[in-house]
Amino acid sequence: MKALARKRAIHVMLVYTGGCNGCDIEVAAAVYSPIHDLEQYNVMLTWNPREADILLVTGPVTKKIAPALKEIYDAIPEPKVVAAVGACAINGNVYKNLGGDLGPSSEIAGPVENIIPVHARVPGCPPRPEDIITAAAAAIKILSERSD
Amino acid sequence: MSSEQNDYSEFMGKGKARERMFETEIPIGFFHSALLEPYRTRYFIEDEIVKDCEIEVDPAYRGIERMLQGMPVDKANIITERICGICSNGHLWSSVRTAETGLKIEIPRAAQAIRVLAEELERLHSHLLFIAHASEVLGHETFAYRSFLMREPVMQILYMISGNRVNYAIPVLGGVRPRTQIAEWKGKAILEAMDKLDANLRKFIERFLSDIMVMSRLSGVGVCDKQTAIKYHAVGPTARASGVDLDYRTKMPEYKDFDWDMVVLDEGDNAARIKTRALECLVSTRIARQAIEKAMGDSEVLNRNWQIGPMPVQHNYIEVPRGELYHSYGLDDQGKIGHYIVRTPTMTNLATMEVACVGDQLTDAVVTLATCDPCLTCCNRFVVVDEKGRERSMTVRDVRGGGS
Repeated sequence: MKALARKRAIHVMLVYTGGCNGCDIEVAAAVYSPIHDLEQYNVMLTWNPREADILLVTGPVTKKIAPALKEIYDAIPEPKVVAAVGACAINGNVYKNLGGDLGPSSEIAGPVENIIPVHARVPGCPPRPEDIITAAAAAIKILSERSD
Repeated sequence: MSSEQNDYSEFMGKGKARERMFETEIPIGFFHSALLEPYRTRYFIEDEIVKDCEIEVDPAYRGIERMLQGMPVDKANIITERICGICSNGHLWSSVRTAETGLKIEIPRAAQAIRVLAEELERLHSHLLFIAHASEVLGHETFAYRSFLMREPVMQILYMISGNRVNYAIPVLGGVRPRTQIAEWKGKAILEAMDKLDANLRKFIERFLSDIMVMSRLSGVGVCDKQTAIKYHAVGPTARASGVDLDYRTKMPEYKDFDWDMVVLDEGDNAARIKTRALECLVSTRIARQAIEKAMGDSEVLNRNWQIGPMPVQHNYIEVPRGELYHSYGLDDQGKIGHYIVRTPTMTNLATMEVACVGDQLTDAVVTLATCDPCLTCCNRFVVVDEKGRERSMTVRDVRGGGS
């Protein structure tokens, strides 16, 4: 019963941790835009960690945001799944790996898996909405298996 | 070191002390359901009326200007494009254009047209995203979805031209990437899409402006008059909505051959800021059509006849969706970048809105901040270092000149 109920209303929380905004908007476009419309799979975007099931993290996690991200993760009730969306969240992308004379940025605490456990990764800079929808579908599967 | 670095107590003592106490302070952020991006606003309210407002734009600081120190231009372009995910073309074009003016690299005519086309498409999708975001903050989801629906064809055009929906990587030194040239079939497809978009836009704007509920919530609220806009140096559509005729496209040689109008409104309230952007969408489709006609079928889009060399510091301004964008750097003998500076429009726009939202209801103040179309990712690039070598992030207060 629980599993069925959970399957019918997945709440996704989107946390933006200091990237370039590109992934953020692609996620918003995947959920809101009537062309992609993630909401047809009963996936809702929420901003409240207490009612979230899936945490989507975009961006390379700057040092200032890292504690906040940890707090948000702790606030989400079990079972929870974390998906890292975009190259920044997976490996830090240009901010962590490119740099001139002074090296890459020293303000990055990420990637996300340094701070919280990550269950799914969506590559791309930024990932297309189609990829995000696929990832959400995969995350729903993980979630429903776990809830038993 | 790190504990010392985070010690702000010294600045707090020195900063502009609040002249008077207020009834309540409502802090919002860094993470809050009302904010898409992390920033902190502190509203000081009395009886639901905002008496003072303070914005702090710390958390997304990534040290991009520091990273760019000593990088070759080609490689640096990968990073400058990723300063922002909305005006990625604006940042890339600006950084490429800085080196091109400094090294006197000639750009083929078709390449210029494709750059203009990309910029106008970007303006379209950015403004439509803004309208969607503003309607959502207002609480009108239908308009938000409608706007997203209109935005999607623009994204698909950009995807068709460049192969990516956000980081298009269209300008390169000496022209544009050869893949992005506009073949006949592509041009025709874009023109068709533009016609549809134009019709939809007109319908949408008419519907939006005649909606009594929405307009009563927007008009007469968050008023920023011409003097305030000039005083805090608002740029882009935020300034144009307050009657300041400031558009950097008028001074750019790329836009000389195009036939377009500047949208300037006088009201300066939230409705005017949304109206300006909605009307600018129509101007953008007009410029985009002309750009396609100039670029269609021309395969000469890249000039490889140039050499990188030493260059004194160059200053470069272009008009991106949110206003003026300033990039500046110099090159040493090996073509490595020194002293990269980026100044983005949100910095001053947000400072203007900080003043404009005073005197309104709290619910309207949130909308007022959203109507300047804040983009915090571009905004957070520099830290202020004081005489003792301590670092802290730049706040909007620094720009206003009232702070520590």
